Amino acid sequence: MAEAISNGTVHATAQPNGTAPVAENGTHGYIHGTAENGTTTTTASGLSADEIALYDRQLRLWGAEAQKRIRSANILLVSLRALGTEIAKNLTLAGINSLTIIDDEPVSEEDLGSQYFVREEDIGKPRAEAAIPRIRDLNPAVTIRSGGPLAALLAQDQTFYAPYTCVIATDHDLLTLSQINTTARFATSPFYAAAIHGFYGYIFADLLTHTFAIEREKSNIPTAIGPETPTRSVVSVTAKRETKGSGKTTEIVQKQEIYCPLILANTSPLPSSIISSRRKLKAVPPLLPCLRALWDYQRTLNAFPSPSSSSDLVTFTTLATAKARELQLPLETLKADFLRSFMQNVGAEIPPTAAFVGGRLSEDVINVLGRREQPIQNFALFDGEGLEGRIYSLWSAPPEVMGLASNGQGLSWRGLLGSTDVSELGGVVGAAANGVTSAPAGAADAIVLD
Amino acid sequence: MQRRDRGIAQSLGLLLTKCVKESRVLLVGAGGIGCEVLKNLVCCGFGSLSGTASSKKPGIVVIDLDTIDLSNLNRQFLFRKRHIKKPKAFVAKETASQFNPSVDIDAHHASIFDSQYNVEFFETFDLVFNALDNLAARRHVNRMCLAANVPLIESGTTGFNGQVQAIKKRVTECYDCNPKPVQKTFPICTIRIWAKSYLLPELFGTSEEESADVAVTEGDSADELAKLKEEAEALKNVRRMMGKSEFAQEVFNKVFHDDIERLRSMTEMWQSRKAPEALSFEGLKAGSETEIIEHGRTLAEQDQAVWSVQDDLAVFTYSLDTLSNRCLTGEKVIEFDKDDKDTLDFVASAANLRSHIFDIPLHSEWEIKQMAGNIIPAIATSNALTASLCVMEGFKILRSQLGSVGGKEEATLGGAKMVFLNSRSTERMITTQTLAPPKADCPVCSPVYAKLRLRNGEGGKATLQELVDLLKEKVGYDEFAITTEAGIIYDPDLEDNLEKPLKDYVTHGNGFITVSDEGDEAKVDLVLSTVAHSGEDAELQLLPDSIMLPYKPKRESPAETNGHAKEIRATPEVVAAPTTTSSAGAKRKREADEEAESVKKRVMASKSEVHVVDDDGAILLDDD
Repeated sequence: MAEAISNGTVHATAQPNGTAPVAENGTHGYIHGTAENGTTTTTASGLSADEIALYDRQLRLWGAEAQKRIRSANILLVSLRALGTEIAKNLTLAGINSLTIIDDEPVSEEDLGSQYFVREEDIGKPRAEAAIPRIRDLNPAVTIRSGGPLAALLAQDQTFYAPYTCVIATDHDLLTLSQINTTARFATSPFYAAAIHGFYGYIFADLLTHTFAIEREKSNIPTAIGPETPTRSVVSVTAKRETKGSGKTTEIVQKQEIYCPLILANTSPLPSSIISSRRKLKAVPPLLPCLRALWDYQRTLNAFPSPSSSSDLVTFTTLATAKARELQLPLETLKADFLRSFMQNVGAEIPPTAAFVGGRLSEDVINVLGRREQPIQNFALFDGEGLEGRIYSLWSAPPEVMGLASNGQGLSWRGLLGSTDVSELGGVVGAAANGVTSAPAGAADAIVLD
Repeated sequence: MQRRDRGIAQSLGLLLTKCVKESRVLLVGAGGIGCEVLKNLVCCGFGSLSGTASSKKPGIVVIDLDTIDLSNLNRQFLFRKRHIKKPKAFVAKETASQFNPSVDIDAHHASIFDSQYNVEFFETFDLVFNALDNLAARRHVNRMCLAANVPLIESGTTGFNGQVQAIKKRVTECYDCNPKPVQKTFPICTIRIWAKSYLLPELFGTSEEESADVAVTEGDSADELAKLKEEAEALKNVRRMMGKSEFAQEVFNKVFHDDIERLRSMTEMWQSRKAPEALSFEGLKAGSETEIIEHGRTLAEQDQAVWSVQDDLAVFTYSLDTLSNRCLTGEKVIEFDKDDKDTLDFVASAANLRSHIFDIPLHSEWEIKQMAGNIIPAIATSNALTASLCVMEGFKILRSQLGSVGGKEEATLGGAKMVFLNSRSTERMITTQTLAPPKADCPVCSPVYAKLRLRNGEGGKATLQELVDLLKEKVGYDEFAITTEAGIIYDPDLEDNLEKPLKDYVTHGNGFITVSDEGDEAKVDLVLSTVAHSGEDAELQLLPDSIMLPYKPKRESPAETNGHAKEIRATPEVVAAPTTTSSAGAKRKREADEEAESVKKRVMASKSEVHVVDDDGAILLDDD
């Protein structure tokens, strides 16, 4: 499958010092990476002395177990613009096994402003190919390769996605993102989407069912096993160790989050805890309806709105208003100033926003790989103008959880895309959300990773 | 406008984009945050049009004292393996310059404390970014920026946490408006500290006389003191045996047996706690001395494993042997350095042996390195996030200067905020606080800043008397005091120094002299930044030439003060601002040194107290 779209651009694995490829955990059969572990012995932790020296400062944060999981991860990155550049940098530095990049668009002069892995002499070359040698230079232990053109990717089915521990797609329209998300989902690959527009950006996560550990100081109130929110539940609690004399105990809490695909998130309401509070509703940034409106605008007009066109402004405002209404937001929060500022920023790439959104997404991916820390559930909004970074759970029970998984192809993103009748969908979603905690264990197990 | 600037131009608008390109920025530090800030600055085109066509100055200046280490490479992405040991500033410039050929970077491999970086140097910038890892340098740059009236963007990270603070004189709080937690978070005499700051210096440190000097503190009984002197004397005797085959055994039995037995004999201490169990070299050793040393050498490679007590004895013997050889072949003083493996082996094994004696869990050498070496976990993403926010703040500050002077934009610094990363929250990626106005009584930012120009940086033959006369004439002082880094050098009752040359007190080209009004109705303090000049001007010269100081705000009654304080306090938008980052991930080398020094002093001063404190804050056995 990989060969089918590789069109000759797959690079042979760099062998910096001639070591044999390290066979990783085995689930991802045909993507082999090389760990730059030289001739030194593997220590008790399972990492080589070289790795311990190189990754010292991060090992002290997340430990050897998480690092070994990171080391065995194969990541698919779709689109290598400013945001993709930051993600590629961060994940390569962290020491993943392999990074496969899909971007065959030619490098343009505009790209040079914030895509620092490409240079003037690369103008006209496919983006991934031009950038890969410089990304590889960051950490020779990581295999960096081109995954061929986007069109070929979109023609792939889930078998192509199966080897990837995580799939990240940036700067694409809703249709493209949803298609990748859906196919990745069939392969049980966690999926992230993200984009930036000048000062603004978002991150979306669909991690299917994700279990993670949080280490924290034990409070006086015992941690209850069971649901915490419609999507999150505490699976188990383990006391770690008592620190003598201090009376403080650390506990490791295993939690689970259940996700839904982008296409469903895009029509999901805000959680009832927010809808029921006028104060919280008013605090929801207008960026949220604007991003939804932008996807609609793109789908209908196949372009971004132009800030200098008053008709575009009218069309966009109408869409944004509809989205604000759909989200049950007070319409006065959708200020004209903000709409103008958002339209001014649409489609622009600026380095600090790329660094923030790409940095936060990478941090989430690294934690997901290490199965530590709370991941984003499921929509994070960044506003570098107002210096805000809210996270909202825009969730509806996915078909599997609703007991439709047995259909196999039952998840029809095309069908859902047409459905904008929120009140109707909202009803279904509400019912599903109530039912989720009592969903048959088998249904949930079917989509548990690993 | 080049096509590569399209994104910036579209988002920021042409006016602010032009301002960004024409600004001149200083980046202090090219480490974790610094590399990321530099990348953003270069890509945004900061300083690409700074200066005029005739006098083009580099738009970005980066200063860093450090060289590149392997452990930097997981996050300082401008550096590669081939750059290890090279100066960070130079390599950062070399790599980042390729991101944007229109940006000119000036790289300095130097300390920011150097005299060339005086107030006039700082005045040439529109923005200063702090990307530092220690408190002392942060405070220094804060002060320089206040003196030069340049906006400062301060930042720090620790693990997943990070924070950014914009500072502008007379508009916001400065870095020192809120007292920073004193670096005493390490419980004194923790076992790691004992090994690193007491035992190692006692054996391989400074002169014997000094190290054996036990300070007398109040309340020490004469008996206790005599015993302590005896103990120190005994160690001194043991030290003289260095190089002899029984050295390791003697040291071991002295500190892990005799001293412990002495402690154990103080039965009243062990009524509620388990008494320490002394160890004996003979009882633990396995094999000949050579075998033990060889075993220790092998074990020392396994820094991830938790060694057994026998293993610790072997590593202790091995490291003592290595350090003794170094000492006897000319190294006068061996100090703890986390990257000096021999000293780390010694500290790790000694700490573990003592931990075993007090029934405290043992740790691997790798873990002890973190505790003893003050290693702060650091990752690429937190640095990238924090640095991106620094540059966002930079945009806001530049924009505030575009608007009408004194307008709303300037008063709010263009919407700049105090920002914290918030990685563990399910609701927010960042939390913010509005920037608080300056604290009226802040000793650092409430004074008026002016310059004192000194010929050749020391004022030639000028005496303190001449400075006093100058201040009386130009500022209108009556009764006042003058303080330098050396302390008070003049006040109405201290006239002894008047005839001394000023250069006795002002040796740097970038020092500060504080003048405080001692009159009944006091005016605010005046801080003079010293600047060298080599021209034909007078030896001493105030800039501006005459200074009108306002009176200090009247002291209000406590109740009013509280009300006032509340009013001007930061209004947190989110109450749960992380507190763990309040020291902004401060400290490394410099502070580590300071900490070690102060710990050493306290160890000396308080040896009558028996401290047995695990690093986790566990067992605490104070004598009182």
